[in-house]
Amino acid sequence: MAACKTENGSERKLEFFLKVPFPSEREATIALQSLSPDPEPRKGGITKNLDLSGQTLSVRWTADEARILRVSVSSFLDHLSLVMETMDAFGPPVSQ
Amino acid sequence: MPVVIGFEGSANKIGVGIIRDGEVLSNPRRTYITPPGQGFLPGETAKHHRGVILTVLQEALDEAGLKAADIDCVAYTKGPGMGAPLVTVAIVARTVAQLWGKPLLGVNHCIGHIEMGRLITNAQNPTVLYVSGGNTQVIAYSERRYRIFGETIDIAVGNCLDRLARVIKISNDPSPGYNIEQMAKKGNKYIELPYTVKGMDVSFSGILSYIEETLFAMLVEITERAMAHCGSQEVLIVGGVGCNLRLQEMMGVMCKERGARLFATDERFCIDNGVMIAQAGWEMFRSGHVTELSDSWITQR
Repeated sequence: MAACKTENGSERKLEFFLKVPFPSEREATIALQSLSPDPEPRKGGITKNLDLSGQTLSVRWTADEARILRVSVSSFLDHLSLVMETMDAFGPPVSQ
Repeated sequence: MPVVIGFEGSANKIGVGIIRDGEVLSNPRRTYITPPGQGFLPGETAKHHRGVILTVLQEALDEAGLKAADIDCVAYTKGPGMGAPLVTVAIVARTVAQLWGKPLLGVNHCIGHIEMGRLITNAQNPTVLYVSGGNTQVIAYSERRYRIFGETIDIAVGNCLDRLARVIKISNDPSPGYNIEQMAKKGNKYIELPYTVKGMDVSFSGILSYIEETLFAMLVEITERAMAHCGSQEVLIVGGVGCNLRLQEMMGVMCKERGARLFATDERFCIDNGVMIAQAGWEMFRSGHVTELSDSWITQR
């Protein structure tokens, strides 16, 4: 699916939002810090922004093509699962 | 004495190792093996690592007889390597480092091999031949840094051997290079041209012996040149291809002629493993370096 054109002819990008609740703000922060450092493998055509609000990690994507968006979201969900499994197996976080 | 855990997963091996003051406490590893004729691709490799990494981590702790609280720092491979598998491993390392409240150490994979080689063999200041599926370099330590004196101008020697194995569909279990070596041992004819046809039959072990002899002779030559340049009397071979006994034998002949010493490690430490990352991480830690989470991004180069 190509990017949509609005009435005045400008291209509109695809957007995708994800909100992930965590049991605590600390765990949400850990997830953010584990998932944010690496650059997107594909340089152009996609942006991804991670944000933290209390116990919730939110992620926002914009992309030019659905195919590129799908790959990025799919990867992210795999990585997110891995973070959560790691926290289940080796958490809870030590007291600071 | 700091206890360092190291995570390695830049290619098709996933390893987690624990080291304390130069003593290897555990070093479990798993290899993603593809069917004959197929190489390993980043996405599938990352998926393999995701599936086993937490099991291997627990194994590392259990074999070392340690709990998470006993770990002092968390080392992982920052690069170089394949992107997707590197990210998978980095994510787990970052997560446990934060869960356990311990510093993170982003390690260079090549330096991991070298530091482990030095630790195991006690070589003092060797000329290093680093040969694996992803790397072929001659390295020496000069003026406080490891420096590359020579390298492949295209593909790594292990890559060459792996591709050969793929073409003639040699098994990848336990590794293509190992199986090439076993078959090459049976060849006893060095043939100038790699074209061996007997009537309706073909013979491949001659080609493999030819390939090995030629590739390894090239590596011995550049290592010798680097030694002459640096005035070095020690050679250390690291990396998966370093397991090859014929390479060690040929290098040994050259060393003997020069009155130099040859050092090599066995498959536990030649092949990618977690504890080499832990060892290099320890060297970083004791010189005061840690890796901030925001700088912990992986790099393919």
